[in-house]
Amino acid sequence: MNIVEVHNLEKSYGSNQVLRGLNFQAQAGEIIGVIGKNGAGKSTFLEILMTIKDYDGGHVVLFQKDIQESNLDQIRKQISVVLQPTQFYKTLKVEELLKLFKAYYRSNIKIHQIIMDFQLEPHRKKYFDNLSGGWKQIVSLAIAFLSEPKLLILDEPTTGLDPHMRNMLWTYITNYNTRTGGTVILTTHNMEEIEMYCDKVMLINNGINEVFDTTSGILASGFPSVHEFYLQKVTI
Amino acid sequence: MLMTQLKYDLLMFSRELFYLVFTIVVPPVTYLFMGQLFGEQTYAGNLNYAETYTPSFILVITFTVVFFAFGFDQVMQRTTGVEKRISISPVSKKILLLSSIIRAILMTSFGFVLISVIGYLMYDLQLRFWSVILSYGFFILLNAVLLILASAIYSFFQRMNSALVFSIVIFQVVIFTGGLAMPIRLMPNFIQVVADFNPLYHMNNLFIAIWNGQFSLDSQTLLSSGYLALLVMVALICLHIQNKRKIG
Repeated sequence: MNIVEVHNLEKSYGSNQVLRGLNFQAQAGEIIGVIGKNGAGKSTFLEILMTIKDYDGGHVVLFQKDIQESNLDQIRKQISVVLQPTQFYKTLKVEELLKLFKAYYRSNIKIHQIIMDFQLEPHRKKYFDNLSGGWKQIVSLAIAFLSEPKLLILDEPTTGLDPHMRNMLWTYITNYNTRTGGTVILTTHNMEEIEMYCDKVMLINNGINEVFDTTSGILASGFPSVHEFYLQKVTI
Repeated sequence: MLMTQLKYDLLMFSRELFYLVFTIVVPPVTYLFMGQLFGEQTYAGNLNYAETYTPSFILVITFTVVFFAFGFDQVMQRTTGVEKRISISPVSKKILLLSSIIRAILMTSFGFVLISVIGYLMYDLQLRFWSVILSYGFFILLNAVLLILASAIYSFFQRMNSALVFSIVIFQVVIFTGGLAMPIRLMPNFIQVVADFNPLYHMNNLFIAIWNGQFSLDSQTLLSSGYLALLVMVALICLHIQNKRKIG
């Protein structure tokens, strides 16, 4: 079942056309990495999927519904996101943020359960603003999981994190994917992560999906790694 | 949902030292301090210090709450990315806006009571039931006017630093040209000209008149009311245009 279908997507900022007819599909349970150089339009693409950015042309269908003809609140209930940089109300403590978002999502998940699952007990009483970058991302992911989303969108979730925190974050993401069959779409500049965790890769270049293939397909086509594939396909 | 949002909005307000100092510390302390200096004087309309400056300092608190904790806060949420994250959540924008408005009215009402009590205890302010009710009703109307003006003004800011500088500068301008700290007629001519364009100056004059039962429909009150109505209309048009630019 297709969770996301994008046809001929176009988006410009003034005279700068960022997306020039991009096509994309994501099925239930897939983890898809979106790569491309800085300014390629990755974040723009994700923000359109998040339903917070308008677009100029094409069609975006989420959960079998065209987002321009649907109730966005109904669609948003099924999506969760981790943004870069992650920001929440800075004067709320971690536990308070979880409670507030639990109310937003009308979630049945117990707060103490999510605190336990994400090892947040030592940080429960800390202000979000006082957490390290890694723990902010973990809290952001914990909040994202409160809604038990069918689609999880992550914009550079591991940027700036040390290897342990990166590993921890990926463990949560892959566990969620395995446990719930939820779809994950993310951007990253870390090609090693793409190779390790993603089922498919979409390379955005010159505003289109220049390559959209399985990770194994890319490796089978003769590239020794996704990193090498990126270097050969994308020029500065 | 509204009560949950309001609870956390009030909690966040109580933890923002910047808001607290400018809203519920500085104005009452200044009211007390000015009263010690000028408490014995008589002001326009043959009013004493408490009759003139109690409504003025209530208005100062209203202005600081609405401009700092409502208007500036919106810019802060927008520029730090909090607004973006919340907009992806399935919470109605109406709930968020309504909670911010209720929070502002609760805080300004607290200011209304605080200044009135200080005036009553320190400066023999006379509080008559119907006069207080009428003044409170008008004060709520002033809240609405300021909320609309603040929303429109701060909707133009895309950077927190510029909004902060603007807020601090506008605070000084409003206090000195609004007749909120000392009578405008004692100020230099150019300040008196600027005061005519300051909506807080007109609000202050109307509020003092209503507070003391001296309100009458004359050219001055009609001019002040008309000017405020015009500003509200311009602000609503600005807000309408800004909202149309955003995706639902």
